[in-house]
Amino acid sequence: MTNSIRGRLLAWLLGALVIAGSLIGYSAYQRAHHDLDELLDYQLKQLAFSLSRQSVIGNAALPPGMELPEPDFITQVWDKQGVLMFYSRPNVAIPMKPRPGFANMDWNGQSWRVFTQLDGARIIQVAHPLSLRKEMAADLARRAVIPLAALLPLLGVGIWIVVGRSLKPLSSISAALRARSPSAMQPLSKQNLPDEVLPLVWSLNDLLERLHRALQAQRQFVADAAHELRSPLTAVRLQLQLVKRAETEEERNAALDKLERGVHRSTRLVQQLLTLARQEPQERDTQGPVDLHRLAAEVVADFEPIAQGRNLSLQLSGAPGVVVSGSADSLRVMLSNLVDNALRYTPAGGHVRVITSVDAAEAVIEVEDSGPGIAADQRERVFDRFYRVSETAGVDEGSGLGLAIVKGVADSHQGTVALADGADGKGLRVSVRLPRAVA
Amino acid sequence: MRLLLIEDDAMIGDAVRTGLRQDGFAVDWVRDAEAGDAAAKSEEYALVLLDLGLPRKSGLDWLRDARRRGVGTPVLILTARDAVADRITGLDAGADDYLVKPFDLDELAARVRALLRRRAGRVEPLLKHGELTLDPATHEARFKDEPIILSAREYALLAALLERPGAILSRSQLEQRLYGWGEEVESNTVEVHIHHLRKKLGADFIRNVRGLGYTLSKAA
Repeated sequence: MTNSIRGRLLAWLLGALVIAGSLIGYSAYQRAHHDLDELLDYQLKQLAFSLSRQSVIGNAALPPGMELPEPDFITQVWDKQGVLMFYSRPNVAIPMKPRPGFANMDWNGQSWRVFTQLDGARIIQVAHPLSLRKEMAADLARRAVIPLAALLPLLGVGIWIVVGRSLKPLSSISAALRARSPSAMQPLSKQNLPDEVLPLVWSLNDLLERLHRALQAQRQFVADAAHELRSPLTAVRLQLQLVKRAETEEERNAALDKLERGVHRSTRLVQQLLTLARQEPQERDTQGPVDLHRLAAEVVADFEPIAQGRNLSLQLSGAPGVVVSGSADSLRVMLSNLVDNALRYTPAGGHVRVITSVDAAEAVIEVEDSGPGIAADQRERVFDRFYRVSETAGVDEGSGLGLAIVKGVADSHQGTVALADGADGKGLRVSVRLPRAVA
Repeated sequence: MRLLLIEDDAMIGDAVRTGLRQDGFAVDWVRDAEAGDAAAKSEEYALVLLDLGLPRKSGLDWLRDARRRGVGTPVLILTARDAVADRITGLDAGADDYLVKPFDLDELAARVRALLRRRAGRVEPLLKHGELTLDPATHEARFKDEPIILSAREYALLAALLERPGAILSRSQLEQRLYGWGEEVESNTVEVHIHHLRKKLGADFIRNVRGLGYTLSKAA
């Protein structure tokens, strides 16, 4: 079966018409047959009566003025002794029916409708072939059906055209979509669309809108990323030139040292960009119950050597059972960024504390440091990608992505991130609140 | 020549300062527009190297304000913004040149030299006085058609004097041109360099104007 709406409609409608036509033909046949039965039976009777009023003599000819109405009617007359006195056709000798009235008889391979009448001394019998009735009924039925059949091709063409017109909005939508460049995201026109097609266009427009936003975000991200990669690459290029220029071993070593830091910075930026890019499409990766406290313990253990290297104290407090539903990988990235940031910006001898807790509805994880903190007027902006807090002395250049990553993960877990002063109003405290998993 | 570098990126700032010092420039480096203002008020700079993406106040705003106040120091913009429209905006805001990151240290130095040359009204890249010729690009010096060896400081000192022949530069003016912030200046260092130069160029080449400073002798 074809998969075109037009073809299907045509096939079904024409099929239905053919069936309807057949039914009409059949019922017309039945009705005509019935009517013919009544009419011809009446004629048989009439013929018999009119013959009874005649005195038929001889067997060869009709009396003068006596014309048989139909040549198909067979008339026979017998006398009391059963001697055939008259017949209308010499070679049709239907046997005499013993009882008067109507009956169907088979003779000579044909079915006959026979009317027999007793008329004093004579027996009059009139017969008419049943097959003729069938032919006449069929003829009548055919006449009823033929105009319908003649109309069928016309109807077919009509259906083809009307359905084609009704489906035109679909083809114009597909033409409009085909003509588009991949970046053309403006909504499709909703004008002059039938009700059946509107939902499709709505859904398409909705999809286009979402695609558009995703594409914009992606483009912005790529532009931002490319722009942001320039700074570390500029630094690396300059540092490399300084290595080349170095004239003494001492100068070269100092330059190489700086170059290494520049490469490290570029690598870190690329890593964070990748992390951010992976978050972008809100991918619903492995969701499950995650104990933030246990995760924090792992992250703190990972960073312990770095903390020691910078002469910082890194502590974890709280108890297991801080369970949220989400992606362990993303949440680990988030915690790592929080701890990394805190360690990075806290001067030697300071401390970084990771505190986990729960309240009625939320799991809370806080990272507190004794670093320079972030001025209240900058706290909104630090979540922007690539925004760096100015003038943090003695700190390797950050990528400006750490808190954007944290916020991204929190957002995808329906959580919030808040910045506040650390303990005693010094340093920074980052609080992430996520909905607790339903136990 | 003393230059002011306004650049917030620690690595880039450090590398540019180091590189330009190797090319014989004294470089003061600040990390935002406010510090740039303070520096420009306290010192006299031959040229400003300006990053545009500064925190709080952008480099472009700093430049516009400076030009409005009538600051005429040449400004060379160093930025990652490479669109033509950005370059036009930068130059129209009063910049003298525009260099897109990432750039090459040698190109940066060449552009700095070109801007300084233009500022001094010279068309000839070589600095000449009498029988002395200095090439600012290579720091090569020739005297009486013979190459002579100069230390970086000696070169810088000589270049400062050749920059405006006839002008008298005080000892502190010379020190200013030779040393950026944070560089050690020994008390008698200018005298030491002058002494070395006189040995190489002849005692009369640099004249001491008592109480005022140093100048070049009239070219023979």
